[in-house]
Amino acid sequence: MRLRLLLFVLLPSLLAAQSVAELQKSFEKKVTEFTLASGLHFIVIERHEAPVVSFHTYVNVGSVDDPGGQTGLAHMFEHMAFKGTPTIGTTNWPAEKAAMDAVERVYDRLDAERNKGPHADPKKIAAISNELAAAMEKADSYVEPNEYDRVVESNGGEGMNASTAEDSTNYFYSFPSNRIELWFLLESSRFLNPVFREFYKERDVVREERRMRVESSSQGKLIEALAATAYAAHPYRNMPGGWASDIEHFRRPDAERFYKQYYVPANMTLGIAGDVNPAEARRLAEKYFGRLVARPLPSQYRTVEPVQEGEKIATVSSPSQPFVIIAYKRPDQHSPDDAALSVLDSVLSDGRTGIIYKDMVRDKQMALGAGSAPEFPGGKYPSLFLFYVAPSTGHSSEENEKELDRIIQQVKTTKVDEETLKRVKTKLRASLIRKLDSNSGLASELCSYYVNYGDWRRLFSELDDYDKVTADDVQRVANTYLVKEHRTLAYTYVPGANAKIDSKGDSEDHSKKEGSK
Amino acid sequence: MRRRIPLLSGLLLGLLASASLAQTIPSYEQLVYPALKQVKIPEPTTFTLANGMRVFLLEDHELPLINGLALVRTGNLFDPPDKKGLSSVMADVLRSGGTSAKTGDQIDEELEDIAASVESSMGETSASISFNGLKETTGTVLRVFKEVLTNPEFRQDKIDLTIAQSHSGIDRRNDDPQGIAEREIASILYGRNNSYGWTIEHADLVHTHRRDLQEFYHRYYFPKNIMLAVYGDFSTPDMKQQLEKLFADWSPEQPPVPPFPPVTAKPAPGVFLAQKSDVTQTFFSLGLLSGTLRDPDYPALEVAVNILGSGFTSRLMAQIRTKLGLAYSIGAGWGAAYDHPGTFRIVGSTKSASTADAILAARTELEKMRTSEVSEQELKTAKDAVLNSFVFFFDSPAKTLSRVMMYQYFGYPNDFLFEYQKKVAAVTRADVRRVLQQHINPANLSIVAVGNPTDFGKPLTEIGKVEMIDLSIPPIPAVAAPVR
Repeated sequence: MRLRLLLFVLLPSLLAAQSVAELQKSFEKKVTEFTLASGLHFIVIERHEAPVVSFHTYVNVGSVDDPGGQTGLAHMFEHMAFKGTPTIGTTNWPAEKAAMDAVERVYDRLDAERNKGPHADPKKIAAISNELAAAMEKADSYVEPNEYDRVVESNGGEGMNASTAEDSTNYFYSFPSNRIELWFLLESSRFLNPVFREFYKERDVVREERRMRVESSSQGKLIEALAATAYAAHPYRNMPGGWASDIEHFRRPDAERFYKQYYVPANMTLGIAGDVNPAEARRLAEKYFGRLVARPLPSQYRTVEPVQEGEKIATVSSPSQPFVIIAYKRPDQHSPDDAALSVLDSVLSDGRTGIIYKDMVRDKQMALGAGSAPEFPGGKYPSLFLFYVAPSTGHSSEENEKELDRIIQQVKTTKVDEETLKRVKTKLRASLIRKLDSNSGLASELCSYYVNYGDWRRLFSELDDYDKVTADDVQRVANTYLVKEHRTLAYTYVPGANAKIDSKGDSEDHSKKEGSK
Repeated sequence: MRRRIPLLSGLLLGLLASASLAQTIPSYEQLVYPALKQVKIPEPTTFTLANGMRVFLLEDHELPLINGLALVRTGNLFDPPDKKGLSSVMADVLRSGGTSAKTGDQIDEELEDIAASVESSMGETSASISFNGLKETTGTVLRVFKEVLTNPEFRQDKIDLTIAQSHSGIDRRNDDPQGIAEREIASILYGRNNSYGWTIEHADLVHTHRRDLQEFYHRYYFPKNIMLAVYGDFSTPDMKQQLEKLFADWSPEQPPVPPFPPVTAKPAPGVFLAQKSDVTQTFFSLGLLSGTLRDPDYPALEVAVNILGSGFTSRLMAQIRTKLGLAYSIGAGWGAAYDHPGTFRIVGSTKSASTADAILAARTELEKMRTSEVSEQELKTAKDAVLNSFVFFFDSPAKTLSRVMMYQYFGYPNDFLFEYQKKVAAVTRADVRRVLQQHINPANLSIVAVGNPTDFGKPLTEIGKVEMIDLSIPPIPAVAAPVR
């Protein structure tokens, strides 16, 4: 009886392991890779089920690369990449270019006056500001608004957008497969000859985006405060949207410099998935992207975050209902402990059987929602393993924080049982299979794995690492990384309400720091 | 001399070589596209089980997965006025409350052991129970799905959990300004006295008991009232046989479910302000009741409202975001529903200081489109966007299956989408203007703003008379102790 039960548990995951190996084999046949002389890399995934193709441009640049005093610049450039080229988006490029340069000259004078500080002349500033507005209006008069977008949309482009994260910037959309050449033309042109038109209007838009995502959301504010507190030196301390005043001071040449430094061919990977012929893709890639010339790769060095010497606390006063985050320092995505941390995360919070859900939401009913995330805000550099909880009505943040602490103690002192471990591994396998069913998902995933791990096959082979994780490993990484000295507690509280967390209280931590470096 | 000749020819060769290397790059207007390959639209197999349940099957062998969805003809529009929120509580506990043989927690473990899931949810005009799993677990997943669908136990501990969670959800409903704007505009457009527009309060949940859940379940969850779609890696004859066997012992009957209640709301023009102190942006929504997909003007309205506010090329985007820099997010949708009037809405957010400016600018764009014809290029862009992206309706078997089922569910002809395509192609500039004049009267717009009026640059009274929205949440009545 016991044996039969065990078999029932084991069987599906073994079968799934086999089907993953088969899937990887079938993918070898579908995937073609090539690199242009400039270092620009292409991954082509053939899927001929329907006459559609998804495109993904993965640029290995993100907010970690924002220059000092210019946080949010990577994101600002991402917006500019939709502004067109010398031939798309203008009624008269030479005249527009001259007018745009005139804007910069006026802006230089404005900055020069402002830089005088207390000696600046407010009247002069007002006069130059008026001049600047007029110069911008002149430059904008040559603009064919949103032409780049219009060409994509009117040709049936679907899901066009872009995103900027800490580690990467991504541009993506899909076309009917007879429009493949149009993508090659448009995508190569915007990264060959980006035109920074309407820069200062777009700066306002970017500022509005920050108001929406961060300033008008208590959780947005909390996450920003968490990052800024947990990190003392590494740029993960800044969110991709940047700080308000930095955004308001961007100048066009800043974005141009950023583009020249980071948008070099060898720093970009392009994924094409769907009804595409790889030989034809290569021909078109040479023709259109062959125009991009090789430039040296930017440095990957970023200030190394020093070891955290004690617990940190970040709070946000807000009339919104409370939210609590506990974040622990963890190593980057190349750490040998990465797989065990992912398994630990699944054990804690995957599905309806995760420990945190069962304990805090289902059984003790102290939380409306709670869980963990193994890697925040990025993975290229040492990051955070975090826990979050939205307390239920009538249950305090402090009570929830203590319960999370208890669960953390539990995974440090008690080994995960084999049944749970098996379940988590099966789910990790299944979630890989489910990732493979869309062109856009494939184009994005394969690019991401290629850039971050050197080979798209890592998407499949990381499952082998998960498989090797033992209950001892899970316990070991919990003890190594979930230590109080290396954590940041962040929470919102309603002003006036007695909702502050006394973290110096009795949440003890007797763990040894095994294997700390 | 002699030495110069090879040099010269070398130079010439070099020039020639570089000329041939530098291929001419056409402009996008010069590109010629091959005809799009014929789309293979898969045909689902449909049949009716002996118990009256309608089934749709579609094979998809690309990945070793199985997926399914039972669509139940019910919805939270059927919530009784004295038990608002009942249907959603019922749908939640249908899954979490387990079956007579197993608790919900046991089902959680059984399913997750094999990386499968069965989930139940309640929408406005339909309920669903969905499932998915790896191919080799098909038998188990189908069995659990059937047990959940046909034999729910509605255990009291899980009713208590769902109701407690609902109370917490109500307490959090004013935390997200965009959520407030969406909720309030719906309440204003449909009226707060009916299931299209009411808001569930703490007091409503106090009267929700196990027998209510059971009654609601039995009234709507019966075979003739359910459509079942299954797609994935299986053979159709096998699956048909499995389903016939699986549901052979389930044949409860109920009288046919009546139509959803009619929408009776009248226009409620005005400006409605909800105060929220902890935001730097105002989230706004301008709306009025729209129509259904059956409306003969629906294709022209879609084209018209797309020109106004869909995608990055729309007028709202070009004016309010790109030209004025007043918003990151701004757009509009006609919002037709299948079986009742939906809501037309212009939605956006702007910094507090420019609240009135942005709202007025949005209304101006709408008025401009009603008073002068759109350009030929705008019309072409909007139509091309629909026509050229048409293939994306058919790029996965799941989309095809879900469309076919939705058309049957709401009684639409199978070729509805193709007729729509033809009608879009025929829309003229005059049509655009006519349908906007006929269906969207700016004087009838209800305008909701959620923001911090102390930071507004201009008062909202510049737009119209302002009525305040009370966001306070009535507490749980002290006297109403839960009765089981």
